[in-house]
Amino acid sequence: MPRRRIFNPLTELLAAALLVVLVLVINRWQFSLAVLVAVILPAVLLSGRPRRIGLTLTVVAAPLLLSSLVLHGLFFPEGTTVLAQWGFARMTVEGLEFAALMGLRMAVFAGALLTATMTASIPELVSTMTHRGWNRKLVFVIGSAVGLLPHVAARAHHILRAQQARGLVVGGGLRRFKALLMVSTPLVTGLLVDASERTHMLEARGFSSTVRRTSYLPDTDSAAQRAARWAMTGVVVVFSFLWLATGAAK
Amino acid sequence: MSSPLTLPLQRETSRPRRALILAGGALIAATYFYLVLAQPADLAGGGGSAASLICLFGFLGGGALLVGGILPTLTTSSLVVMPLGIALNIAIGQTAGSLGLQIYLDAIGTVLVAVLAGPAAGAATGALSNAIWGLFNPLALPFAAGAALIGLLAGTAAKYGAFRRIYLAPFAGLAVGAVGGLVAAPIAATMFGAAGTVGTNAIVAAFRAMGDSLLVAATKQGLTSDTLDKLVVFTLVALLVYALPGRARNQFPFVRRYRVLAGRAPTPVPGTSGE
Repeated sequence: MPRRRIFNPLTELLAAALLVVLVLVINRWQFSLAVLVAVILPAVLLSGRPRRIGLTLTVVAAPLLLSSLVLHGLFFPEGTTVLAQWGFARMTVEGLEFAALMGLRMAVFAGALLTATMTASIPELVSTMTHRGWNRKLVFVIGSAVGLLPHVAARAHHILRAQQARGLVVGGGLRRFKALLMVSTPLVTGLLVDASERTHMLEARGFSSTVRRTSYLPDTDSAAQRAARWAMTGVVVVFSFLWLATGAAK
Repeated sequence: MSSPLTLPLQRETSRPRRALILAGGALIAATYFYLVLAQPADLAGGGGSAASLICLFGFLGGGALLVGGILPTLTTSSLVVMPLGIALNIAIGQTAGSLGLQIYLDAIGTVLVAVLAGPAAGAATGALSNAIWGLFNPLALPFAAGAALIGLLAGTAAKYGAFRRIYLAPFAGLAVGAVGGLVAAPIAATMFGAAGTVGTNAIVAAFRAMGDSLLVAATKQGLTSDTLDKLVVFTLVALLVYALPGRARNQFPFVRRYRVLAGRAPTPVPGTSGE
């Protein structure tokens, strides 16, 4: 399915991060809910891959939301308005409100950043960072780590299958620890050997030289977007200061 | 020996770098003390808005300064293992989290890099891996400074011989875990109301049921989970590095210079030197 992306990944990531900051600044569950419904939901639906993002969001955020609801809903010693009580557990209005605040905050965190990340093209992000003159070591580490992630997961899966074919049983307790070791030893060894080869290749291609990099990918960033990024940051910073200074947060 | 075909590496002065590292450390320490000292009154009223902002920016900004100060000093061989450590952290941490374990296992890569490439690389790996993981699992984002501290302490422990005997590694893990738990607790309490994985939430709920405040409950949970977690992680990493072929581990100058691992004194073998 074609991915719909309008802006440079750097702009989208910054917008998501600023949204998270706004939610933290305003700190009301009503605002978090509004952001969730009015901004993040349409963004997910328009992203071109709503099913994948929805699935990831459910896997990442849902268990946390539920356990947070149970934690604060039932165990909130500071709460005074008791709705129900079973032994140690007391359901209080204050606890439920706190659970809603924290739960919606987590949902906005996860929703905004996940949507921005899962629609961003990593090569484009790396090339933008190179064009903007970021530290090349930082660009290498970030780009390489993100690129390695699926590779590591796939390799771990292959090794697990191979060890199971040799009679490894993944059981509970100490057995599980042994299984973890039997999978991670070949995994780490293989990755380290790859890494040492990469060291030589990078050195031979002038990685440690300090001259300005060129990127093979064209720069998709525009002056307007650069200006927009600064403007967005400025507006959010000024708004946050005003909001906190006037004491509206309480 | 691989001789680079390009101009020799220019060694820049290390002055401004040290300033960046110091500023980052100071920012993290100041944020931590602010959270611990000013927090309790703020939190009972339902999650202070200013407190969570200061928490996010203090720790993330401090982490960014640290990374900015550390990165230019790292050699290519250290830089190349850092993405590996980051990917391991995220892959294993995400699995442990979705299995609902009471421990996190999200520092295996950090500790591995710290043991092989030194405290600086370990700290940068910890901070960066939580920053990158934060894009997939936003709950990891504010813990970047804590993860940097774990990497720093693990590397320092390795430098002074905690990995020269396998039975020493769990004790180093216990100590590092206790420090890590103390640092992580106020972050968890301020940002997300102490929500971690399903497993760690159960521990917090148990302490809350006994009437502890959120910060105290989170600290007790941190001390329980983190010490256990780092004990397992350090043991695992010790077993891992001893299982590595000598060629793979002796490529790192840090391992050779400080004799991090026991065994015959490693002599530089032609063709395997890291730089």
